[in-house]
Amino acid sequence: MSAASVFSRIQETLGPLAACKISTETRMDIETSPERLLQAVTVFRGLNWGFLSAITGLDSTGAAAAQPGAGPASPATPPAGALAAAAGSAPADGHLDVLYHFCQGPSVATFRVRLPREHPAVPSIGAVVPSAVLFERELSEMLGVEVAGLPKGKRQFLSDDWPQGVHPLRKDFSIETAAPVADSAPAVGSDEPPGTFIVPIGPQHPALKEPGHFEFAVDGEIVTGASVRLGYVHRGIEKGAEDRSWVQTLYLVERICGICSHIHATAYALGVEALAGMAVPPRAQAIRTIVCELERIHSHLLWLGVAAHEAGFDTLFMYSWRDRETVMDLLEQLTGNRVNYSVNLLGGVKYDIDAAAADSIRRGLDYLEGRSKHYLKIVTTDESFLRRTRNVGTISREQSERLGTVGPTARASGVTIDLRAAAPYAAYGEFPITPVVDEKCDQEARFVVRVKELFECFRVIRRILDRMPAGDLSIPAPRKVAEGEVISRVEAPRGELFYYLRSTGGVKPDRVKVRTPSLCNWAAVVNVVVGQKLADVPVILAGIDPCFSCNDRSLTLRRRGRPGSESVEAWSWEDLRAYGIRYYGGGRR
Amino acid sequence: MADEKSPSVTAEAAAAPVKLPGAFRKALDRVALWSRINSPWLVHFNSGSCNGCDIEILATLAPRWDLERFGVKLWGSPRHADVLVCTGPVTRLARERLVRVYEQMPAPKFVVAIGSCGITGGVFHGCYNIVGDIGEVIPVDVYVPGCPPRPEAIIDGVVQLLTKLKPPKPKRAAKAAAGSGDANATSGGGGGAA
Repeated sequence: MSAASVFSRIQETLGPLAACKISTETRMDIETSPERLLQAVTVFRGLNWGFLSAITGLDSTGAAAAQPGAGPASPATPPAGALAAAAGSAPADGHLDVLYHFCQGPSVATFRVRLPREHPAVPSIGAVVPSAVLFERELSEMLGVEVAGLPKGKRQFLSDDWPQGVHPLRKDFSIETAAPVADSAPAVGSDEPPGTFIVPIGPQHPALKEPGHFEFAVDGEIVTGASVRLGYVHRGIEKGAEDRSWVQTLYLVERICGICSHIHATAYALGVEALAGMAVPPRAQAIRTIVCELERIHSHLLWLGVAAHEAGFDTLFMYSWRDRETVMDLLEQLTGNRVNYSVNLLGGVKYDIDAAAADSIRRGLDYLEGRSKHYLKIVTTDESFLRRTRNVGTISREQSERLGTVGPTARASGVTIDLRAAAPYAAYGEFPITPVVDEKCDQEARFVVRVKELFECFRVIRRILDRMPAGDLSIPAPRKVAEGEVISRVEAPRGELFYYLRSTGGVKPDRVKVRTPSLCNWAAVVNVVVGQKLADVPVILAGIDPCFSCNDRSLTLRRRGRPGSESVEAWSWEDLRAYGIRYYGGGRR
Repeated sequence: MADEKSPSVTAEAAAAPVKLPGAFRKALDRVALWSRINSPWLVHFNSGSCNGCDIEILATLAPRWDLERFGVKLWGSPRHADVLVCTGPVTRLARERLVRVYEQMPAPKFVVAIGSCGITGGVFHGCYNIVGDIGEVIPVDVYVPGCPPRPEAIIDGVVQLLTKLKPPKPKRAAKAAAGSGDANATSGGGGGAA
């Protein structure tokens, strides 16, 4: 079904609930009110179209203030505590917008809800769309939108000494007035039932190189509850982007994640180029695509090693990391750096691939192809390894779709979801890719999908090298970017990466919203470990290729108390900390 | 019976620690320092990094660089580690945990900060959730610049630290060694900015 016919069907179905506006071939805006939102989303979900890709919160005060005749300064949010000064300069007539982006293939349908700055509130759509809870949590903390139906007062990804009522993505927030760091967070009581045996892991722990705190409630060897507290590497990049120019932000977003740095920069650059109406030379797009695929090879080999290490197969870790150096050498040869290659410019790329570089890439790929065949054989035939992966951590296709997983995690559950094929960007239009899907849904399938994807990478890189378009590497980018908004979605090594960019016509972005693939996959993994053996937990965690640095914003807890009674609750840092102190039997830090 | 005896034994031990003869103690210290320099155990903590430095630290353990052949071991527990290898700017939430990891390490302990973010906050300087660089939170002995530094640079940073720990050569420093008496004097406390 074409996007246009889908959109008209959505329009018919929603009827009087919302005002639909089709802006481009692939985008539709659905304006509704907070009162009608839940009903509209419920009706919309009845169509069984798309998945909730992200929720973006916008503070339109900046835009309003830029217009002549904007209202005089008056405190718009009731300030709390030490940050009172922050609210002084906000015009009272500003408003907030909440955007719910549902995506399928290249099409995006966006529900837009406009809210007043004072006491903004929306209903939670978590009952209809379970994966929305994470995004709503982020919305309530970052913009102070009250989401009815979410537990109140629980800190998720801001630190615990962050003052109440201060929301960093509001336009009237400023870093100068942010509260000083308290020496220690206040400890509060916890309501953990006595007798539950909890295994706490992290945030500093030997298995994963990034900080994340996990707690597993166990009954013997079986996990009965799992919680994760992230936020240790939350840096405030979305707000930081608003203080930087369009070009500076390119280098900031590149450092959201060091493993998939290029894809972040590519998503951002593609978005800005679309906003500014720049026609990027085809050679630049081809080079971008080659680096995207080289990065995918490096990321998948890295994952293969780490995941094998979690299963106790250190030999495979060492071999795959040895072979990964081949692709690191290629990246260094092309760009001068092993990580954070900085290939992209707004309007093109910095580095060319000449005949000599193309030859060394081909040689490297030949070697890696032979090795990948070997790895595919290992992960599908090694008996002792299969005992750790076969029928372990199964995420069924239904679960996968319901919980909104993306990328190789979803593809290993039989869901064909790959933006490179569904909505080609950069040079994927001319050099198409075939999604690799596996129906087995278990840990083995995740190994198979990722290793098989390597062969697709090799194939598409060779094809681009053989038919490299001639021409310039870049075109000049304007200092100011035309007013408007754009959604840029690309397929990162871990799944769909979502960027929402808004410009008010200035030298700086008005809003940069990033939704990274790991955030989508967390919900699935926390659900799936319940009922598994504790010893399998590291393997399952590694299965989604978790990346903390890009998704650090949330906490979820799923507990299976008595058989049949399942509830979702959330723990704040205070809870976890108090629990930790009690657990270790002392108050000494 | 054991209940009555054991408290008095521990109290005694606490009141009067075993006194070793000076020469014996010096020899033990020398052995400890020798083993520390030749086989330092590292513990890694990411206090807000983008992963770039972390994967390069891991790469130093992979076959191409293979740090373990020099006796260097990346270890999970801070309680067994000599050197804290730290990456990233320090976020508000990670700050307390970084201090806690540092405090759990036995003295003498050392800190190597990897990457530009650890030096100045790097590209994240000014972001609201950044407390500052690593040196603002715990004392740092060696900074390794780069975004991210190459694995060779990370190894060099650790080697620089170990070189700093080495006691002065006997020939040149015969007099100085006779005066100081404590082999750990060069390393004690790790930076001293605490």
